[in-house]
Amino acid sequence: MSTATIQDSSRARRSRGGSAPRPPVGAAPLERSRRRMFWAFTAPAVLVYFVLFLVPVGYAAWTSLYKWDGIGPKKWKGLKNYQTLWQDPTFRHSLTNTLKILVVGGVLTFAFAFALMLILREMNRKLFARSVLFFPCLVNAMVFGIAAGILFSPTGPVDKILEALGWSHPPQWLATQHLSTMILGTLIWTATGYYSAILMAAVDQIPEYLYEAAELDGANAFQRFRHVTLPMCWDVISVCAVLWTVSSVKIFELILMYGGSSGSQPPAGSWNTAMYVYTEAFPTASTPQLGLATAAALVSLFMVIIFTVVLRRLLRRDPIEY
Amino acid sequence: MGSSTGRGPRLLAIATAAVLAVGVSACSSSKSSSASGGSGKSGGSFTYWSMWRQDEPQAKVIQAAITQFTADTGIKVDVQWTGRDVAKKIGPAMAAGKAPDMWDEGEDVVYGAAAQNGNAKDLSAVLDMTIPNDNEKVSDAIPSKYWDSLPKDPSGGQHWIVPYEASTAGIFYNTADPGVSAAMASQPATWDDFINVCQALKAKNEPCLASEGEDSWTNGLWFDYLLNAAGVNFNDLASDKTGAAWDNPAVLKAAQQVEQLVKGGYIIPTYTQTKYPAQQTNWAGGKAGFLMNGNWVTAEVAKQIPSTWKYGFMLPPGATQPDSMIFGFALTKNAKHVSQAEQFMAYFLQKKTLSGISTQADNITPRTDIPAPPELATVQKTLDAPKLRLTFDGVAGDWTTKVWNQNYLDFWHGQIDAATFISKMKSAQVSFWKSQS
Repeated sequence: MSTATIQDSSRARRSRGGSAPRPPVGAAPLERSRRRMFWAFTAPAVLVYFVLFLVPVGYAAWTSLYKWDGIGPKKWKGLKNYQTLWQDPTFRHSLTNTLKILVVGGVLTFAFAFALMLILREMNRKLFARSVLFFPCLVNAMVFGIAAGILFSPTGPVDKILEALGWSHPPQWLATQHLSTMILGTLIWTATGYYSAILMAAVDQIPEYLYEAAELDGANAFQRFRHVTLPMCWDVISVCAVLWTVSSVKIFELILMYGGSSGSQPPAGSWNTAMYVYTEAFPTASTPQLGLATAAALVSLFMVIIFTVVLRRLLRRDPIEY
Repeated sequence: MGSSTGRGPRLLAIATAAVLAVGVSACSSSKSSSASGGSGKSGGSFTYWSMWRQDEPQAKVIQAAITQFTADTGIKVDVQWTGRDVAKKIGPAMAAGKAPDMWDEGEDVVYGAAAQNGNAKDLSAVLDMTIPNDNEKVSDAIPSKYWDSLPKDPSGGQHWIVPYEASTAGIFYNTADPGVSAAMASQPATWDDFINVCQALKAKNEPCLASEGEDSWTNGLWFDYLLNAAGVNFNDLASDKTGAAWDNPAVLKAAQQVEQLVKGGYIIPTYTQTKYPAQQTNWAGGKAGFLMNGNWVTAEVAKQIPSTWKYGFMLPPGATQPDSMIFGFALTKNAKHVSQAEQFMAYFLQKKTLSGISTQADNITPRTDIPAPPELATVQKTLDAPKLRLTFDGVAGDWTTKVWNQNYLDFWHGQIDAATFISKMKSAQVSFWKSQS
């Protein structure tokens, strides 16, 4: 087989009079021109990626080895910043919160999104319903932080409605011990609409006859979801899972708005790693610790990479073509 | 190894900081006071980031002074009304070389964000300057005790801020409130007397204290003052790396006194469930007897209180020294227009100019010859004390964020008792100092 190819190639060369540049061994003309254009087209993108992503990450990694306030000279610390993170109960707690948002928030968001997929596909005016569901993610997180103070106060509308329904002692929504739960709840509420919109776009592409066939075979709504919808949009689900992983780790404005009072940071119990990075880099009334902040950011990045790789492995399926 | 001060990497490092910190303000930075005619007396200009938002009365007083200053001296002031976020923006801005010449904040922020690392210029020269029109030196107009109470910068100096507003914190109440006057014939002399006042109010179904439950600063003032009453220095307590200072029985006693307020049910019932300023508003509406806060609270509730309201003020019984907080101007380390900014500092301290802080912004100035607004007359007397003590004895910054806030709020919300609070503070503090070493 390989011998034949070489012979073919040498024949072709001869036929052109041998003056053309020597093509790579084993490449067809189309393949050759594609290869030639590869770097011409990808170089700008690679360059941008390198300059705007890899260089800053590399620089952050380098900074994480120093103690630095951003102004004065840098002081070499080696891996001590990472050791500090490990010893810092605030960071450990922040890491736990990040994982809680990632896992608990992710499971609940996708559970709701799947339930909505089940309902939305078959309901009337589904476009309107989808718009309503999508709406919360258009609203800036800061609005939620401010609105929560009014909505969930003991004299606010939520408690008034609950009291009218006979619940005399509604939960203390805004108490600091419920901060994490409130943040998680808001997050799930906004994310569900977002991921439902993406997933429904995939569901729309599934040919109707598959559902009709399933229905004729006696499949109920859940079975149709389980055996038609789920496998047919598995690729989109796995992309959504990765998107959630990446975005959930970066959330911090919600925490800042919910927990921050006038001039002070939210209580440390409600922080995630992004909030930790923020308070180390932009502290009130103290010195920025950029070495520690970048170390914490890199730990977050590392965590996202691990989760993404594991998720991609777990969710890998043979693609279904239709 | 060791230190690296290369310019290239630094530029790269500040990219994010610059976008975050300066981006927002950059849009409005061209709003210099180019309109000023200026008689060209000395000329020049300087940049200034203010802790006040443009709609705040202090901003209006400072803006009026700037306009007059430019007219008198020809020096233009490029001012940005940044608001309290200046505390977070100033560090990255200094790192990016985009910082203003002058900025202002509370002494705790100026020290924490700049002076403690030598990033605030020494302003001793301003103390020797003569205040225009008043013909007295700055050091004669402003009592030296305001500087004496400050922590030292790396070069041992305390003159890294020039104060224009002085304040203290304590218990505010309405002496015209019939419930309060019935429960308290005269100001309590001991802590037990104060608890009895609370008990008397509770008996009449009036909550003794209003409190913004989410705020560890105002609520923490109780513990701060009670430690002071017990002879414990808060700063010594917080900076003890072994945490052993928390084993002092006096510290436990102060915590138990705070616990009396929480467990006694003397705090307004919804305090853990609301956001600022819900409870301050409740207090101004007569729904609770006392409020612990900085003296700026009188200006904040000025439009909410009834006309019959008469301010009373006291420190928690036993406290020996009033808390002091000053707000003032500082210069960034790399300020380019030092002389112009220093001239403005001295200019703003003129009696007629600085009076605006009292007459328009309803706050106290550090000049003893400017009377405080009537409602703060008794508060100003407290500040006449020969020695002042910084709030929390100067503790601020990371310790507050990582050790204090969460634990104290848990304690103030009644989720942990005094002994647990002490042990949690101790262990959190040990971990904190370990991570700082």
